[in-house]
Amino acid sequence: MLKTQEYCLNFGPQHPATHGVFQVILTLDGEKIVKAEPVCGYLHRGIEKLAEARTYTQVIPYTDRMDYLAAMLQNLGYVQAVEKLMGIEVPERAEYLRIISGELSRLTSHVLGTGVYALDIGGFTGFLLCFREREKMMDLLEELTGSRMTLSYARIGGVADDAPEGWLEKVDRLMDEMPGYIEEYNGLITGNEIFQARTKFVGELTPETAVNYSLSGPVLRASGVNYDLRKNMPYGIYDRFDFEVPLGTNGDCFDRFYCRVREMEQSVRIIKQAIEQIKEVDGPVMGKVPKVLKPPKGEVYHEIESSKGIIGYYVASDGSNKPYRVHVRRPSFVNLGYLDEMVRGVLIADLVAILGSIDIVLGEVDC
Amino acid sequence: MLENLFVGVADWLRSLLGGIGFLPVEIAESIVFLVKLVAILVFILINALWLVYMERKIAAYMQARIGPNRVGPKGLLQTTADIGKLLCKEIVIPKNADLVVFLLAPVLIFVPTLMVFAVIPLGKNMAALDMNIGLFYLLAIASVSTLFFWMAGWSSNNKYSLVGSMRVVAQMVSYELPLVLSLLGVIMIVGSLKMSDIIAAQNSVWFIFTQPIAFLIYFIAAVAETNRTPFCLVEGESEIIAGPYTEYGGMAFAMFFLAEYANIMVICAVTTIVFLGGWHAPLGLTFIPSWVWFFLKMYALIFVVMWFRWTFPRIRVDQLMGFGWKVLVPLSLANIFVTGIGMYIYRAIGW
Amino acid sequence: MFGKGLVKGMQITWKEFWAKKLTVEYPDKLHPTPERFHGKFTLDVDKCIACGLCANACPNRVITLNKQKVGKKQYLTDYVMSIQYCLYCGLCVESCNKDALHFSRDFNMNQYFYKDIPLVLVRREALAEPGEEPEDGAEKPKPKAKAEGNKAAEQASKPAAADSEAAASAEAPAKEGQ
Repeated sequence: MLKTQEYCLNFGPQHPATHGVFQVILTLDGEKIVKAEPVCGYLHRGIEKLAEARTYTQVIPYTDRMDYLAAMLQNLGYVQAVEKLMGIEVPERAEYLRIISGELSRLTSHVLGTGVYALDIGGFTGFLLCFREREKMMDLLEELTGSRMTLSYARIGGVADDAPEGWLEKVDRLMDEMPGYIEEYNGLITGNEIFQARTKFVGELTPETAVNYSLSGPVLRASGVNYDLRKNMPYGIYDRFDFEVPLGTNGDCFDRFYCRVREMEQSVRIIKQAIEQIKEVDGPVMGKVPKVLKPPKGEVYHEIESSKGIIGYYVASDGSNKPYRVHVRRPSFVNLGYLDEMVRGVLIADLVAILGSIDIVLGEVDC
Repeated sequence: MLENLFVGVADWLRSLLGGIGFLPVEIAESIVFLVKLVAILVFILINALWLVYMERKIAAYMQARIGPNRVGPKGLLQTTADIGKLLCKEIVIPKNADLVVFLLAPVLIFVPTLMVFAVIPLGKNMAALDMNIGLFYLLAIASVSTLFFWMAGWSSNNKYSLVGSMRVVAQMVSYELPLVLSLLGVIMIVGSLKMSDIIAAQNSVWFIFTQPIAFLIYFIAAVAETNRTPFCLVEGESEIIAGPYTEYGGMAFAMFFLAEYANIMVICAVTTIVFLGGWHAPLGLTFIPSWVWFFLKMYALIFVVMWFRWTFPRIRVDQLMGFGWKVLVPLSLANIFVTGIGMYIYRAIGW
Repeated sequence: MFGKGLVKGMQITWKEFWAKKLTVEYPDKLHPTPERFHGKFTLDVDKCIACGLCANACPNRVITLNKQKVGKKQYLTDYVMSIQYCLYCGLCVESCNKDALHFSRDFNMNQYFYKDIPLVLVRREALAEPGEEPEDGAEKPKPKAKAEGNKAAEQASKPAAADSEAAASAEAPAKEGQ
């Protein structure tokens, strides 16, 4: 009497396709997945606990290292939370510089997400071409802040340094070239029939499920829900820029991927507008902030739209110069909540495609 | 003069051996045959090394970087350095692996490839053994290599290898059919399975122009047979790491690696013979020797195979099976049908 | 037509095949580092007043500095940075009021042994008071303009700092000084 048996495969922490040290314990029937159990925590570094023993400014380098791909956006969220708590005004030029470096970080994160997704599906060339662009952007960020990846550029009350001579023109030139590069990615990756056959109608997500599971970012917008914090609850000076929010229709892997590509185009638009507007603004890049920061007792929760989704910072202060508690609502961690149900009944190859389309970064999942 | 270089060497050897009085003719013939085979073997192995270097350079050039350029002039000795490194590595044998099967698989993987090269004519009158069922022999031996991939995966005692080897069996078996059926159209027109007859029949027009669909089907099926992207699910690096080869290290891994490149050479050689006119010079440029033409055509096809690898992503297992059985097999059957009708009509007209 | 995307992909890779390559062949050629690059640290010893603001600003307690009160001023005897813990955030450079600590553009900080990794920017012995008896203590100190850099030639030193290991000895007066 022939019978088949389910077996357990460990899609282990050491795997080229899990975007970091992430384990999924799969129960397979042939090649179909019956149950998937994600296990995270291999990269836990205790950032929230460390933050309790550092002053408010000293926490900023630690926030970089959570989503290390879009470092400026993490810094921005934390710094704006503390400014909200203390009621500090940020000068205009600093706001513009924050927007430019923040959108550049978002671009680097999406470019990497695109390239790595192509790598997961099997097209190696797409990966390296995307990294070519990422190198150029990281060179620009290096000229501005001194570091390529973990920027630590934002400070409470402004930014660390003004832009050096000629930097804005270089950014402008790169933004002029970006649409050509995005065309290349579309030709090589997005338009490829094999790629579309791998990603269309795979891992579909309905809008109701997405909202119920608190998903955010491109994962949510690909299902058709129009929710982008930059438009719905504008923070900083995002209400001065004119950009669109790309939406998807089916909520499958292809839509999530394509939303990111279109978001890249929108980021290019925002940066170009910001460079136009910053020319008229001159002034200091750091606000009036006391040397030793002692916020009043209280707590604050502030959310911003990072490249992976909505990142939220909860800062509680007890009146001393060190925070009492810092908690981070990390988008990658929340977006992984639905993974188990989304991969029931698909093949292993689809698991890789779905995991890549959610675009997690392990520094954020584990904090 | 250059045209008959290798044939001249073989004749010289034959006369040399014939000059030794006591040697009967059969022994002399078999010694010449042995020398031919050894020459072809050495040639294939050196070519496999060269192909590794070519692949790395082409991959790099398509990815806006330069490939190996430090070891040796322009990086030419990179593969030898790699082989030297792999020779020094330990072949780690997993705990509950099936020892005999585990060690036999990398040894035997080269056998079908090398056996096949005996019938391939590398130039005019330059096949080592011009069998009258040459093409049939080639297709039969080439399908045996499935077994060795399966052995490698099964004996490794590793779930990833098992999944990989099951995929490889399914893939290679299902793409044998379009492979064979697409060649049937050409064989019908030629009327014989002998390699030199097929090449001789392409004197005026190559078969790629009279059988374009068969060429496409054959090429796609051949790329699937050798497990290259877009059909490289066997060693689909981002999913099942290295499939059946996961547990092999050192020289055993090198054997699989080199066998893959030798397989690519086999299919490109067969494509050249059957569709691109073999060693015939196009446009009448006969001052270039025939074997040079053969290699040029073969390497152009190898370049196209590598071009495919570095452009396309991988397709999924169920899509692969669907594509093979539902698209390629009906198309090749239709091709045979149309060819048959066409031949009948041409004979009736009196072409 | 099925296959159009595939052909377009092949055209793009064909174009890339002939395009200019971007490899920078290190170490023969170097990628230019910008001015603000966060590389190795340099300390201008003349400007440093040993206030300790940089050590307090560091999130990871990378900087250890020891100083000694020579008359009214603080004299820096030790400045060691354990760069294996450094985050290269730049908070220390920002916090320096006297513009003494800087980043350089050098990124070659690898060593062969683990114990050589901490950057010793200053390690010197305590300053001598010229023409003063050792028993007297420091009434009118006149620190000589010593050569910048590490070890200074020693004459009769103060009794508390008579040992050659400035680190161990300067511990006590440094603690008093703080």
